[in-house]
Amino acid sequence: MLVTWKYRPRNTFIQRLDPRTRFIFMACIILAFSIPEIWDYRIILPLLLLSLTLYLMARIEWKDVRRALLYIFILVFLIVGLNGLLSGRGGPSSVLDPSSPVLFTLPIVPAWDWIVPVTVSKVWFAISQIGRMLTMALLAIPIPYTIDPNIYGTAFKQMGASDKVAFTIDLAFRFFPTFARDLTITVDAQRARGYEMDKLKGGLVAKIRKLAPLIIPVTMQSTVTGEEVIDAMDLRAFGTAQRTWLKVLKYAPRDYYMLGLGVTIFIACCVLKWGFGIGDFFVPDFFTRALVG
Amino acid sequence: MNDKTTWEFGTRQVVYGAIGAALYGVFSWATNIFPLPAAGNISFRPAVAVLIFFGVAYGPWVGLLAGLIGNTIGDALTGWGLYWNWSVGSGLMGMIPGLIMASLNDFKARPEILKAVGWGTLGIVVGMLFASLTEMFTGGIDLNTALVGYFTPAVIGNFIVTAILLPILMIAFAGVAARRGR
Repeated sequence: MLVTWKYRPRNTFIQRLDPRTRFIFMACIILAFSIPEIWDYRIILPLLLLSLTLYLMARIEWKDVRRALLYIFILVFLIVGLNGLLSGRGGPSSVLDPSSPVLFTLPIVPAWDWIVPVTVSKVWFAISQIGRMLTMALLAIPIPYTIDPNIYGTAFKQMGASDKVAFTIDLAFRFFPTFARDLTITVDAQRARGYEMDKLKGGLVAKIRKLAPLIIPVTMQSTVTGEEVIDAMDLRAFGTAQRTWLKVLKYAPRDYYMLGLGVTIFIACCVLKWGFGIGDFFVPDFFTRALVG
Repeated sequence: MNDKTTWEFGTRQVVYGAIGAALYGVFSWATNIFPLPAAGNISFRPAVAVLIFFGVAYGPWVGLLAGLIGNTIGDALTGWGLYWNWSVGSGLMGMIPGLIMASLNDFKARPEILKAVGWGTLGIVVGMLFASLTEMFTGGIDLNTALVGYFTPAVIGNFIVTAILLPILMIAFAGVAARRGR
């Protein structure tokens, strides 16, 4: 059982960006969709293409990202997409426009007269919703693959977090491999005593209880380790004055371009929505014609 | 067991916040390797019991940081990206049970264990409600999907795990703390 970070050093534009730039840019895109409530495909599509471009520029190997993408696609397409298609809820009320042509009806429970009409409007809404979610997901997915785990603490410190919070983040990333190793040792030790984790028998409660021989030793050992670390930090007067950090992040011109782009996208979405009334949900004519002729 | 100051944020909270986060990340990841049986979309994360235990034992700051950072690490390790609202929800799940830290004296006493499980359940409800409802803004889902598709399964799964494992963790911790003398 090996624990490995997904991060690999790659010589790409995305990895040369300051991690703070990546976080702020992603926040700008999420806020650009959420605050002015953008549902217009003319805005969603370019942003989706931008996210896809940035994702491809990260050059993450398919074998690394395959499982994560599969999970997210299932979540986005089945849960969110089908919900949009069937209920049409979760967005503006115009999705449920009664004048929208009905493509077909789905008899969910015919005995209760629960028959769901699938309209052109609902189909377009499901597509828009999938587009919005994928835009955000494509920005989030590359983060663990492309940001060095050793600089999360520094990044959050330089984004304004206190020394203590930043140090907690830094320490958590350092503790992780240690506890993963402890868990591996515990698993091996329990197996040597006849513990069969692959064949946990009994009901649900019994199965969860049987995880205790793995969880308890690792957790209790970690609390003992914690006391030793606290002593060591107290002896070095941790928390009595401002700290300096070994790694210092500096914005490069490319970071300013990306930050400028992110902020511009956010402001543009707000201005388009509230200044010009562009950004609301509507079904384009070409889509209606394509479906109903 | 601790200095009983609920909102103190010193070296102890920094270290145990980091340890709680790392453990939450490790156990979340390990559950993927040894999956528990699940019904529908209910998933069981034993890591939640560890998170609530850290809140109960070391206070709200530790619970908050452990959940916030631990969920981010768990997502990072599995490669799922960064979903801030679920990380904040996990943080709330650890922070709320931490509010009773100062009132717990004997981790082996049944009333105190029941109190911890009760506050842990409240933390689960508040944390998962926050995460599910904010998904309406970030994911564009409706209230019905947020409550039925996300909130209810998460609360059921997390409650079962907490009710079973938290008492075991508390009793084990009482023994360790007694031996350690602090």
